Amino acid sequence: MRLPRSLALRVTLLVAAIVLLASALGFGMAYFGAVRLLQHQLDDDIREQAATLTDEFRLFGVEGLRAAIEARALHAGPEGFSMRLSEPGREASFAGRSFEAPEDLRGATDLVQPGGRALRAHGVALPDGVVLVVVADLQDLRAAARGLAGLLAASGVVTAAIIVVAGLVLARGLEGRLARISAAAGAVMDGDLAQRLPLAGRGDELDRLAQTINHMLSRIEALMATLRQVTNDVAHDLRGPLSRLRQRLEGALAEPRAAAADQAVLEAALEELDGVLATFAALLRIAQVEAGTRRAAFAALDLSALVAAVVEVYAPVAEEAGASLTARVVPGVRMQGDAALLRQMLANLIENALAHGGAGVRIGVSLMAGPVLEVRDDGPGVPAAERARVMGRFYRMDRSRATPGAGLGLALVAAVAGLHECAVVLGDAEPGLRVRVAPREH
Amino acid sequence: MRILVIEDDRATADYIAKGLREAGHGVDVARDGKDGLFLALSESFDVIITDRMLPGVDGLSILRALRAAGNATPVLVLTALAEVEERVAGLDAGADDYLAKPFAFSELRARIDALTRRPAGAAAEATLLRVGALEMDLLRRIVKRDGAPIELLPTEWRLLEYMMRHAGQVLTRTMLLEHVWDFNFDPTTNVVEVHVSRLRRKLGETPEGQPLIETVRGAGYALGRRG
Repeated sequence: MRLPRSLALRVTLLVAAIVLLASALGFGMAYFGAVRLLQHQLDDDIREQAATLTDEFRLFGVEGLRAAIEARALHAGPEGFSMRLSEPGREASFAGRSFEAPEDLRGATDLVQPGGRALRAHGVALPDGVVLVVVADLQDLRAAARGLAGLLAASGVVTAAIIVVAGLVLARGLEGRLARISAAAGAVMDGDLAQRLPLAGRGDELDRLAQTINHMLSRIEALMATLRQVTNDVAHDLRGPLSRLRQRLEGALAEPRAAAADQAVLEAALEELDGVLATFAALLRIAQVEAGTRRAAFAALDLSALVAAVVEVYAPVAEEAGASLTARVVPGVRMQGDAALLRQMLANLIENALAHGGAGVRIGVSLMAGPVLEVRDDGPGVPAAERARVMGRFYRMDRSRATPGAGLGLALVAAVAGLHECAVVLGDAEPGLRVRVAPREH
Repeated sequence: MRILVIEDDRATADYIAKGLREAGHGVDVARDGKDGLFLALSESFDVIITDRMLPGVDGLSILRALRAAGNATPVLVLTALAEVEERVAGLDAGADDYLAKPFAFSELRARIDALTRRPAGAAAEATLLRVGALEMDLLRRIVKRDGAPIELLPTEWRLLEYMMRHAGQVLTRTMLLEHVWDFNFDPTTNVVEVHVSRLRRKLGETPEGQPLIETVRGAGYALGRRG
C-alpha cells in the first residue's frame, strides 16, 4: 500500500494506527481478564454446590446424598446447576437437566454435549466408587463475554473514528499553513524578493522555520540589491571611459598610418583601459567585501602595528607631495579582522586626503582603543549636505572631477568598515575633513 | 628555458606563447587541464604557467597532482580571481606565484624570472647578503656599501632586502607592493616610486655615475645588473 503524499495525513494515519493497536491490546486484555474472572466465579459456585453435597454424603452417607439430589430434582434444579450421582451397580441419578459426562471425571473441566450445549463440570470421587459430578451451563457466561466484546469493539470503533476525524482536521490546518508558506516562497521565486513567509504567531516549529527562511530572504534581497547597484554603477561609470577609448581608436583609424602618432594613440588607449580595469577590480572587491564572505578569513591582528606600518609607507609619499603625514597610535590595540582589507582601507583614507586636501595638506592619523581610527586633514573638507553621498560608489564632488580616481575609495572604506562591524562617520575637522571609523553602536 | 602554458582561452594562450617565444623560450601549450597535467608529468619543464579555471581538471588540481607526484617545477597560477583567499588557496596548493588577469606582459616575464632564479634553500636562510659593493648583515641589521654603513628606515630595509634577494632580476611595482609592504591592491599614489627613489639616493651611484637601482622602462626596477 502506498502512503498518502501529505505529511500531516501520514502522521495522522500513523498515530491512528498506533492508538488503535494500543487500544486493541488494552481492550483484549480487559476482555480476557473479565472472562477469566467470570469463569473463576462459576468454578467457585460449582465447587460450593459440590461441597454442600459432599457434606450430605459425609453426614448421611450415599443414601443421604441421593436424597438431597432427588430433593433438588424436585425443585427443578438449583439456579442453573445440574448434578449427577453415579454409584456402582445403580442407575445414575440426576438433578436438573441430564447430561453426559465420563465416569472418571475428576476436578474442573469443560464439557460439550452432543447437542452442542457447553457445560462447566466438576467431578468429585467419593468413597465406595461413588462419583458426584456438578455442572453449570456456560451459556450465560458466553453471552456475557459476547456482550463485553461487542461493547469493547464499539468503543474501539468510536475511538478510531474520533482520532481519524481529529487527525484530518489537524492535517488540514497544517496543510493550510504549509500551503500559505509555499505560496509565499513561490512569489519570491517569481521575483517578488520583498515577499516574506507568513507567521502564525504561535512561535512553534513552523513559525521558527519561517522566521529563519525570512532572515535568509532578507539577506538574499540585500545581496541582490548590492548586485543591482553594482550593475548600475558599472553600466553608468564604465561607459564613460569605454566610449572615450572607442572615439580615440576610431579617430586614429581614420587618420593615415603614422608610426609616431599610432604609438601615442595606443599608449593612451592602454592607459585608459588600465583605468577601466582598475575600476572593475575595485568594484568587484567592494562587492565581495559587502557580501561578507571574507569574514571567514578573519584573524586576530595588531591594529596598532598595522596602522603604524601603513603610515610609515605613506609618510615619505606625503612628504614628496609637499604634504605631511603624522600619526598618534596607542600601542597594543588588537582586533579580529582581515589585515589586507584594513591596510587597504587606511591607505584609501590617506590617499583620499592627499588627493583632495589640496597643496600642503597636513594629515593626521590617530588610533585609540575601541578601536577608533581617525584620519583628519586640514583641506577644504566635505560640506555636511554631501557627506552621505561621498560614501557611495562613483560619487565625486564637482571640484574633485579633475583629480584622478574613480570615486570608489570611500565606498571601499565603508564596505571594509561594515565588514568589521564598524561605521564610518564624516565630520568637520575645522577646517578639513575628519573620517572616523569606530564600532557601530548597538 | 622550456615553459609549459596551460590555458584554455586561445587568445590569452597565444599572447603568452608569442611573448615568451620572442624572449627566447621554448613554449608548449596545453588547452585543457588533462593535457596539461599529462604534459607536465611526462616531460620536463623549467616553469609551468597554468590558468586557475580550466575545463576538465582545474589549475589547483593540476598543481596538487604535480606536487603529490613529487614534481617541484615552479608553477605560476594565472587567474581572473585576484582576491586574497584565492591567492592563499593557490599558494596552499603548492603554487610558487600567483598573477591576476589581466596582466602586463612585463609583469609575467619578471615573475617567471623571479621563479627560475630563486635563491637556493640555503641562500634563503643566509644571514649575509652581498650584491656587488653592497653588504647586508641580517643578524646585526647593518647595511654597508664598500664598508661604509648606510642608515635605513624599516620600510627601506625591507625593500632593499627583497631587492638583494632577487638581485639581477627585474622586479615590478606589483611584486614590490606585494612582497615588501603586503599591499594586495594598486595604490593611486606613487608609493613604490617614492620609496625606490629614496633608497636609491641613500645607496648612491656606480663609478660610472649611474644609480645602483636601475629603472627598467615599462617593467620595473632591478638591482645588481650593473657594477
